[in-house]
Amino acid sequence: MRDAVKIGILYSTTGPYGSMGRDAWDGAELAIDELQDAYAGRIVPVFIDPKANIPDYLDGARSMLRDHGCRHIVGTITSLARKEVLPLVEKHDGLLWYMCPYEGFEANENVVYIGGCPNQHLLPVFDYLIPRYGNRPYLVGANYVWGWEMNRLARELIAAAGGEVLGERYLPFEETAVERIVADIELRRPSFILNNLIGPSSYAFLAAIKALGARDPAFRPDNCPVVSCDLTECELPDIGIGVATGQLSAAAYFDSIPTAENLDFKRRVAARFGASRRISSVFACAYTSLKLCAEAIIAAGTDDPVAVRRLLSAKPARSILGPILIDPETHHAALPFHLGRINDDNVFEIVTSQAAIAADPYLTGRNRRSVPQLRVVS
Amino acid sequence: MKETPNFSGWHAALLHREDSMTDRLVRQLKLLGCSVTQQWQPLAADALPDIVLVDADQGWDGLLPWAGGTAPRPLVALLGSEAPGRIAWAIQQGAGAVIAKPLSVSAVYPALVMALGIHRERIAISQKIEHLEERVRLRPLVHAAVQQIMAARKVDEHHAYNTLRNCAMKRRMAMEQMAASIVGGAEPMPEAV
Repeated sequence: MRDAVKIGILYSTTGPYGSMGRDAWDGAELAIDELQDAYAGRIVPVFIDPKANIPDYLDGARSMLRDHGCRHIVGTITSLARKEVLPLVEKHDGLLWYMCPYEGFEANENVVYIGGCPNQHLLPVFDYLIPRYGNRPYLVGANYVWGWEMNRLARELIAAAGGEVLGERYLPFEETAVERIVADIELRRPSFILNNLIGPSSYAFLAAIKALGARDPAFRPDNCPVVSCDLTECELPDIGIGVATGQLSAAAYFDSIPTAENLDFKRRVAARFGASRRISSVFACAYTSLKLCAEAIIAAGTDDPVAVRRLLSAKPARSILGPILIDPETHHAALPFHLGRINDDNVFEIVTSQAAIAADPYLTGRNRRSVPQLRVVS
Repeated sequence: MKETPNFSGWHAALLHREDSMTDRLVRQLKLLGCSVTQQWQPLAADALPDIVLVDADQGWDGLLPWAGGTAPRPLVALLGSEAPGRIAWAIQQGAGAVIAKPLSVSAVYPALVMALGIHRERIAISQKIEHLEERVRLRPLVHAAVQQIMAARKVDEHHAYNTLRNCAMKRRMAMEQMAASIVGGAEPMPEAV
C-alpha cells in the first residue's frame, strides 16, 4: 500500500452536545498525531465540523466519501446524525465508526459500534441500583430517540423487577426550565432518577436536584442518586465543581481507571493538552476508533471495509479500553462496564466494574450472563 | 408497544432462492435470535414455522399452504418489483410487512415487528367479527323473547327489552342466551321492571 489513506472525522464542536464533539475531535487529533509518528504520511485525516446542523453532516459525509475518497468516517454523536449519514455511507460502501453510547436496535453492516448499547450500560446500571436504592425510579430524558428508547427500556426493566416508574418527563434540546419536573420529583419521592437529558438541560437538572437535596436530605445523592449513561468528564466543567458531587454515570472508560495502559495514556494526553485535562469516554473512544481503524487498514494493506472488519473480528486488538474485539454479527465492540461516582474534584471514582460485555443490540439474550426478564413475544 | 418484541427462539422460514441477499438476511434473522430454514418449494402445512418470509417477486400460488389472506402465521414479503400484480400477490397471501430488495438489514427487525403486530391485530379482529356475527345470527331470538314479554306482561317494546336485558345482566348471561332460554321455556317469564 503506497498511497496515503484518508479517514474522515465528522464531529460538531458547537450546539447542545458541543463539549462532547470537541472532546471527540481532540481524541481524534491525538490519535492522528500518534499515527503520524508511527506511520508517517500513510494516514491523512479529513476533519469536518458540521456545527450541529444535520444538512451539514450530509454535506460533510458526502464530501469525505465522494471528493476525498474516504472509505472510513469516524464520527457523529447523536443517533439522529448517525441515521442521517448512514444511507450515504451504505451507498459508497464505507464504514462509519460510531463511538457514543446509544439506545441499541441496530446492527448495520456499514457501522462499527464502539460506544455501547443498553445491555452494556443501562442493564448493568439497573442491576446495580435496584437492590441498593429500590425499584421506584423517576425517568427524565431529552425529547428524541435516545431519551424515548432508554426510558422505554427502563420501564420494562422496572416492570420485570416488580417496581413502579413514578414519573417520566421529557425536555426539548437546550431547554433549561426544569422546575416543574423537579417539583414533581419532590412530590413523588423516587428511589433514584435516570437522567437521559442532553447538554444544558442535563446541567440545569443536576443543579436543581443539588438545590433540592440541600432543602430535603431525601434527595441527596446517597439517598436518591441521579444516574446517567452518557455523562462524562468533558461535561463536568460546564456543570461546575460540587454541583453533581455524588451522582452516578456509566461508561466504558473513566479518566480514573488505574491500569498501566491508562496511566501511560494520561501522560500522553497531559503532554499534548496540559496536566489538568480530564479524559472522557468520548475522547477515549474517538481516539480508540481512529487507532483501531488506521491500524487495521495498515495491517490489512487496504482500506476495504470488508477486509478491515474481518481483521477486527479475527482477534482482539489492544486499546486503552482493554482488548477490543468486534463481533462479526452485530458489528459491536465488547466493552467493559464501569459505574463512576462524581467526587468533589469532579473526578469519577469507580464504584463497580465488569469485564468486557458482548453487545446484544436487539436484547435477544445472546452472549449474556444474566438474561433480563423481557417477556418473549409469541 | 409495552414490551420489546423479542424473536429469540423463533423459527423463521425463508422461501427464496439462495443468493447473497438471502445470506445477509439469514445472518440478520439469526442475530435477532431466530433459527432459519431456507427453501424454494412449498411450505408444509403440518409443520408451520413461527414466521414466514417469502419472495413476492417470484412466489407462486401454492407456495404458501393457505389461501385468501387468512395467513395463520405472520408473513413478510420480500419485494424488489413495483409491479402491481406482485404487490397484489403479497397482499393476497396475507403479508403484513414488506422488506424491499435490495436488502438493507435495518429493514428486517421493523418488518418482523410490523408483520407480527398486523397478524395479531387480524386475529383479534376476526375473533371480534365472529362474535358479532353470532350475535346477529341470534337476533331473531331476542326479538321473539321481547314479543313474548310484551304479550305476557302487557308492556311496550322498550320496556320489554329492558326487562330482558336486566334479567340477562342479573344472571350474567349474554342477552341472546337469555332470550333463547325464555323462548325455549327453560326460564320462567321475567317480571317486568
